[in-house]
Amino acid sequence: MEYTLTSIAPIVLLPFLAFILSALVVKKSDNLAVGIALSGIVGSAIFSSRVFYDFVFGVYSKGYYIHKVFNWFDLSYGDLVFKVDMGIYIDNMAAILLFMVTMVGSMIMIFSTYYMKGDKFGYGRFFVYMILFSTGMIGLTISDNLLSVFMFWELMGFCSYSLIGFYYQKESAAQACVKAFMTTRVGDVFFLLAIVAIWSVVGSVSFVDIYAALADEKFAGLAIFGIPLITFIAISIFMGTIGKSAQFPLQVWLPDAMQGPTPCSAMIHAATMVAAGVYLALRVYPILEAGHILIFVAYIGGITALGAATIALVQTDIKAVLAYSTISQLGYMVLGVGVGAYNAAFMHLIAHAVFKACLFLASGSIIHELHDHHTGGHVQEMPRMGGLRKKMPLTFIAMLLCTFAISGFPFFSGFVSKDRILGDAFVMATQHGSFIPVAILGYAAAFLTAFYMFRMMFLTFFGEPRDKELYDHTKQETLLWNRNMPLLFLSIFTLGVFYSGSFTGQGLVKVAGDRYEWFSTLVQKPHVENFKSYSKSEFNYEDSITRNFEKSHYDASHGMSADKAHHVHHIHSIGAVISIFIALGGFLLAFFMYFKKSINPWASKFAWYTKVLKNKYYFDDFYLGGLIQKGLLPMNRFFAWIDMGIYDRFFIDGWERVLAVCYSAAGWFDRIIVDTIFVDGIGAGTRLVNVILRTFQSGKIQFYFLVGFIGLAGYILTLL
Amino acid sequence: MMNLAAYLFISLVLFLCGIIVIIARKNIVAILIGMELILNAAALNFVAYSRYVTHHIDGHIFPLFIIVVAAAEAVVGLAIVIRFFQIKETIHIDDATQLQS
Repeated sequence: MEYTLTSIAPIVLLPFLAFILSALVVKKSDNLAVGIALSGIVGSAIFSSRVFYDFVFGVYSKGYYIHKVFNWFDLSYGDLVFKVDMGIYIDNMAAILLFMVTMVGSMIMIFSTYYMKGDKFGYGRFFVYMILFSTGMIGLTISDNLLSVFMFWELMGFCSYSLIGFYYQKESAAQACVKAFMTTRVGDVFFLLAIVAIWSVVGSVSFVDIYAALADEKFAGLAIFGIPLITFIAISIFMGTIGKSAQFPLQVWLPDAMQGPTPCSAMIHAATMVAAGVYLALRVYPILEAGHILIFVAYIGGITALGAATIALVQTDIKAVLAYSTISQLGYMVLGVGVGAYNAAFMHLIAHAVFKACLFLASGSIIHELHDHHTGGHVQEMPRMGGLRKKMPLTFIAMLLCTFAISGFPFFSGFVSKDRILGDAFVMATQHGSFIPVAILGYAAAFLTAFYMFRMMFLTFFGEPRDKELYDHTKQETLLWNRNMPLLFLSIFTLGVFYSGSFTGQGLVKVAGDRYEWFSTLVQKPHVENFKSYSKSEFNYEDSITRNFEKSHYDASHGMSADKAHHVHHIHSIGAVISIFIALGGFLLAFFMYFKKSINPWASKFAWYTKVLKNKYYFDDFYLGGLIQKGLLPMNRFFAWIDMGIYDRFFIDGWERVLAVCYSAAGWFDRIIVDTIFVDGIGAGTRLVNVILRTFQSGKIQFYFLVGFIGLAGYILTLL
Repeated sequence: MMNLAAYLFISLVLFLCGIIVIIARKNIVAILIGMELILNAAALNFVAYSRYVTHHIDGHIFPLFIIVVAAAEAVVGLAIVIRFFQIKETIHIDDATQLQS
């Protein structure tokens, strides 16, 4: 079964075509645009399911990848090679992510037909943005080089800008979309810098070329500003991840992005955009490793995970809790990258995408039904909810499953993936003292995650309705295909059995056996040695697009000796047990605080800390009031002064004066020399000659005769 | 003793008289007469050179031709003048302007 371009290209071309068509018809018919967009994403899901099947169960699951290169443009001149290639690169990781993106995207868009129906800001317009957004993520997933990753990355940046600012008449939404766009731009600039730096060394930005360059040690000995170039590149690329995946210190845009419609939050913050940053970090993992910045990555992830989790404790907006939990979970993924838990980080990416999309959709399902008749708006505040379990049983079930998953309860996906990350962090902490704070940050965040998620559940679904009037007005939930089906479908995939046959963390792998660890055996670190002395000319743009490569064998012992591996597994088991108890502890604390109400909430005892949390650690104040007001604006004014006071005044205006003199001289030359002397002079001369000649042509025959005679006489005189 | 120079002088005077008549007079008949004077001046030159320089008969024969041609020319010229007079009722040279546009 050979792959050709026709079986791959529709995955990205179908949504793109659907975007173009729906954008054309959206002014005429909302429903038609929605239908086109839906069929685009579902068609893409069908095509990608074949790739998924082949790479997970089928012929390519043993270590092939698809690589197809197209020459985009070629500006080579002599020895200077400047050739830009676009390409498709699909390995097991990309295939899984592709399937997840298209399936979750389909579910979100089906749910959107319920949530956005009749929206006065544009039912069809929303789907046009969503399908373009999906195109961006799908394109990023199958990109084979950093340049096209960057292009799709920016495409998603634009779409998130449009979606966050979807309710464009709301002041807060308009500000939030600009904030999101500008904040991610900070990371993007570094990312672009890294691409240029890589290009300057490798001469290509293709992933396989970069791996080959790493294997051939092309970066050895190069330095910039006194630091090794590879470290500089690694930090710059990771800055892109920080911006896109909302890591500390660029996490400020994500909570504000909740201004968009809830399905778009599910799309941006669960399935696609924030996952792109982690996906990039996984793709360029060899660079991060070679740059020796993994500990930096781990600390950033840990700080983000714990910091966001603490802020989530005091949020009352149901979407804000989910937003901070998203940042926190992304912190876990980055932490996983940092401690070398490569496949666990990716597994957490997939698991998180599923349960967080489901959580967002469930919150959308709640918000959409809670209609405030006094203000005419929807209610997002948890203090006005409570007891909704009876009104919305199906949403409750879906949300409960997802909450178990995110909290890391056994037999759920969050446990399987998060426990591996924490277990690896634990192992690293026992081996390197510098990783101990990372493990502590991770476990603390895990505890808080369980706590604030169940706090949200108890405040929303349990207890007595706190706003009786709102509760009574809410309709009883009935099974709707576009409201409940996506939720229930997604919530099924929160079960751990889909991610690991052993149901447990890495600690018990030896017990269950390798063959149950299908996820871990599929996704492996790219081994750069496989690409040693690799040359892209092997591909030559011909049609054969599948290639075999020797995948690094799944090694449960991480290349350690049998004794040490046993020891590590022992530590892993301890870590797994700790994380089970931590999740239970968080659950019980929330249970007693918000369900039994036997413990008073501690808000009054830690008033100052609550205030800090409510202000999100003053990051927004610092960026807006400090960095922008005190730093950027004076700098801008200074540059404006240079621009207008010096440059404009002396160079532009001075040059103008020089030119004015030149022009008047040229004008004088034009008037006097050219006009008067040449143009008029030639006219006057012609007229003069004309007057002279006219006198000879008098029409008198005797005059002619006289002239002829005088001429003849003169001629004869000259002969004498 | 009359010599060549005297003949040539007479010839020159005749020639200039003819020229002046042609240029100055407005009467077409007078102009024709002036042309006869020029022809006669030329004929006199032929004879004079034949008598004093070449001693040959050719110079004597040429004036006979000239007299014949002059007679023929006078006939044609006068015929034109008469015809002109019949059309224009004048023989003023400046009125002969039909060929001008």
